[in-house]
Amino acid sequence: MLEKMFNPDSVAVIGASRTKGKVGRAVLENLMQNPKLKIIPINPNVDEILGLPCYPNIMDVPEESKADLAVIVVPAKMVPNAINECGRAGVGNVIVISAGFKEAGIEGARLERECISVCEKYGINLIGPNCLGIIDTASGLNASFAANMAYEGNIAMMSQSGAICTVTLDWAERIGVGFSKFISLGNKAVLAENDFLQLFENDPSTAVIVAYLEGVKNGSEFIKIAQRVSRIKPIIIVKSGRTSVGSRAVSSHTGTLAGSDAAYNAAFKQGGVIRADSLEEMLDYSRAFSVCPLPMGRNIAIITNAGGLGILTADACYNAGLSIASFEETTVARLREKLPAAANFYDPVDVLGDAGADLYEHALDVVLEDLNVNGVIVLVSPQAMTDVPGIAEKVAEKIKQSKKPILCNFAGGSRIAAGEEVLNRYGIPNYSSSERAVASMNALCNYHTIKNREQELPDMLSHNIGSARLFIDNASLEKRRTHGLESMDILKAYDIPVVDSRIAKTLPEAINAADDMGYPVVMKILSPDISHKTDVGGIRLNLKHADDVERSYNSMMSDVRHYMPDAVITGVQLQKMISGGKEVIIGMDRDPQFGPLLMFGLGGTYVEFLKDVSFAVAPISTAEAKHMVSSIKTYPLIAGVRGEVASDIDSIIQTLLKVSQLVTDFPEMLEFEINPLMVMPEGQGCVAMDIRFTLKS
Amino acid sequence: MASILISSSEEFSGKSSICMGLGKIFQASGLKVGYMKPVGNLLIDVHGSLTDEDSEGIRKLLGIDDPAKYITPIHLTDSLIDDALKGVEKDLDERLTEAYSIISKDKDIVFIEGTGGIGGGSMYGLSDPEITSKLGTKILLVTRFDSISAVDRILCDIRIIGNNDMLTGLILNEVPISMMDRVSELVVPFLEKKGIKVFGIIPEDDTLRSVFISEIVEDLRAEVLVSPDKLDQLVEHYLVGAMEVGSAIKYFRRQPNSAVITGGDRADIQMAAIDSRVKCLILTGNMRPSGAVLASAEEAEIPVILVRGDTMNTIERMEHLIGHANIKQQVKLDRVIELIKNHLDIPSIAENIGVKLKS
Repeated sequence: MLEKMFNPDSVAVIGASRTKGKVGRAVLENLMQNPKLKIIPINPNVDEILGLPCYPNIMDVPEESKADLAVIVVPAKMVPNAINECGRAGVGNVIVISAGFKEAGIEGARLERECISVCEKYGINLIGPNCLGIIDTASGLNASFAANMAYEGNIAMMSQSGAICTVTLDWAERIGVGFSKFISLGNKAVLAENDFLQLFENDPSTAVIVAYLEGVKNGSEFIKIAQRVSRIKPIIIVKSGRTSVGSRAVSSHTGTLAGSDAAYNAAFKQGGVIRADSLEEMLDYSRAFSVCPLPMGRNIAIITNAGGLGILTADACYNAGLSIASFEETTVARLREKLPAAANFYDPVDVLGDAGADLYEHALDVVLEDLNVNGVIVLVSPQAMTDVPGIAEKVAEKIKQSKKPILCNFAGGSRIAAGEEVLNRYGIPNYSSSERAVASMNALCNYHTIKNREQELPDMLSHNIGSARLFIDNASLEKRRTHGLESMDILKAYDIPVVDSRIAKTLPEAINAADDMGYPVVMKILSPDISHKTDVGGIRLNLKHADDVERSYNSMMSDVRHYMPDAVITGVQLQKMISGGKEVIIGMDRDPQFGPLLMFGLGGTYVEFLKDVSFAVAPISTAEAKHMVSSIKTYPLIAGVRGEVASDIDSIIQTLLKVSQLVTDFPEMLEFEINPLMVMPEGQGCVAMDIRFTLKS
Repeated sequence: MASILISSSEEFSGKSSICMGLGKIFQASGLKVGYMKPVGNLLIDVHGSLTDEDSEGIRKLLGIDDPAKYITPIHLTDSLIDDALKGVEKDLDERLTEAYSIISKDKDIVFIEGTGGIGGGSMYGLSDPEITSKLGTKILLVTRFDSISAVDRILCDIRIIGNNDMLTGLILNEVPISMMDRVSELVVPFLEKKGIKVFGIIPEDDTLRSVFISEIVEDLRAEVLVSPDKLDQLVEHYLVGAMEVGSAIKYFRRQPNSAVITGGDRADIQMAAIDSRVKCLILTGNMRPSGAVLASAEEAEIPVILVRGDTMNTIERMEHLIGHANIKQQVKLDRVIELIKNHLDIPSIAENIGVKLKS
């Protein structure tokens, strides 16, 4: 659908200018770099600009010269009308470079809404407003006011910051990195990251997708699209606003709620996105993907002319979860044939300080043929006798031919510059530190796993939604937002086992209930205003007879009224005392960007302090549920340590899937928590002991 | 002519609302209604003369023509207190009886509103029971039922009144919904056994506890940055946005009928509040938010108001505003009348005061 946006035959510039230094002139000059492109300047005050005939209005352009794309650079308040005129003139693709929209305040936001409604009316594809423009190196289009055109390459980049576009272009020009497409997203009024992910998915000139984002516009769609695209091409994203101060800056800058970083991590993981922590990392990864084949495993060989560098790199590999390859016997024997006796023939291979290009070539040839090696990191330090450019030339040749990824760290400063130049000429990245090379190798290995992961759809369970719907509808009618123990029946609609319990409004009722249920029992305060019952003395455990119930009831009421005098108390709940299980928590917070973010963790007093929890965006698949359970650090405690019986992990997974379904079925559920879910030993299931949820008003 | 003095053991128990509500209902049934609050304690300047804020409000709402100086003949000024302590005679009783005789002229019923708590004014001889006996009327007690200890207060009030014949009966006001059953099943029979007539129990009401955004703007002398046309909405609570944004979202979502107080530089909290669709954003410290945040607030139609004071200061003002029903607005006025009609035994009140409702 965006074919003519990126590969137009003719482009109109609305607000084209003769004046040097103006955006309207810069855009025109950039477009004119492509002699095949028909360019139509629009400006009511002049007849021609830079030798091109000028039209007063886009609607005056004759039908046969109609533009495929219009770039708008007029002041913000004139933009809605300009888009409207594009619509009337049949122009389907528009880039609004002008600023002064939502980022500027109320009036700007109003203009932006107007632009959106005009685009909806005419079905116009709009990029921006408040953007730098776009570049497509395959079609030769530079519809931007960037200072330079990008080199041709296979990396497609989109960025929510115009400045990061220019920084990247400038960096890329210096070292010769090429791009297929370059998109400045601006305010994302109409087209946003999801549209471009789909564009890049089918773009033959794009092999790697990179993005700088401050937020995503439609989180659940994003996950679905990314899941599909990441099976075909790697997606590398830097998402800013990770910390509290960063997210504050995002909110201030864009007028959006940044959303939790845990949600982004979960969504990126589920979508198969490789998350980079910085621009540098994003560019490092993108270059590795741009030139390297994917490794088939995580076993890495290191070739170095300095022992220290080799050890540092081995440490970095280990920390990143990469393995140091264990060579086949023939590899070691062949290395011995040419390398000096003092060399190290095991990984890391030390070719020694005086090694020339030939020894590097030999070592590379040998380790690349080793079936236990999936990728190679080449380290070069500039010794007095080191032929840096010669080694670079040989390594570059090998990289071009290799079916396994090879990344380089020519370490040093001015003495390795000649080597870097050689690598740049071949379009090969040199990582300035071995840690950077290792991080990029790790990204390649991770993507190999992402690309080959099994396609699993979220599990949709069959259940009786009717009774849950009735419950929620009644709660909405009564305008009750926060719910606790008294609402545990909602879990039954999803076949989640619930502890046997009774509600009592008075002490005699409580004693009767306990007598009926049989001792021992647990007594919990019932109050919509109290979320942390333990903190206010609202839980009494292991009550063995009626006297216990009476004493505990009286002291509990006194405690609760003391700690929370204003809380509405509706009674108490008596539960059957359950022992012999382990407590876990299953929760959900509705994230502003991605929707229902499920949380899993071990229960108990230290949980809030340890923050040992895992997240995933619902709906989830069985594999994702399994991963949520097994990825917490304290997993061994549920799996059973030192001869302990394992807990019923399968029942946790089933409960996670049921909660995933529940919170997906009811978007009005804003937060939800089963805390604790008591998990019994393997084969004996689990039971929900307490819940809390909040409904939308 | 009949009359009744509305008294309570504490301030802000709902005396003014009861005077206004019963007054309106009696007017509607064809009675000529008079009103006075003999001792004014909330002094305001109206057209150059001192009067009481409550009495001025009710005078207007009931459409009473009597001059303010008779509606509230005595003003609780510092010098009045000093003179009372020094023993200086001020002829307060004469002022009271004179005003009462003027107000009660041509009226079917006069509502007399007490000042503060029931025993207040004892130092200058004008506590509620003293006024009652001086004017030869009776007391209708209004008690805010915030907890079970209200029963103790009621029994104490009756001891202060001393003479059981002086009490017509009792209204239990602002009873928490969760306590309604207990109050009607246990408390009312208990009091009636003691010979106290209970005219009704009025439940706690969100509309009356809440405050209009326009009132907040007025009280805080705030500047409205966004959505000036949305100030006619009611706010039930105020929340302070000083935590990290993840917790803030949860906190705001649980109570969306709130005003969120936060610093002008806390864009994350501001967006969390907007996303949670709270009723109003109060930005402190006179720090303007970014244009993008204002734009989002406008899209969500959430008023953003800017105050000079710091957060602590603003909290104190809000604490005072919310929960103290100010019945100047029509919505609240209508609500008061509705609650009185639904929960009080009006014919019984009329009969005990000694008036006949005409229709």
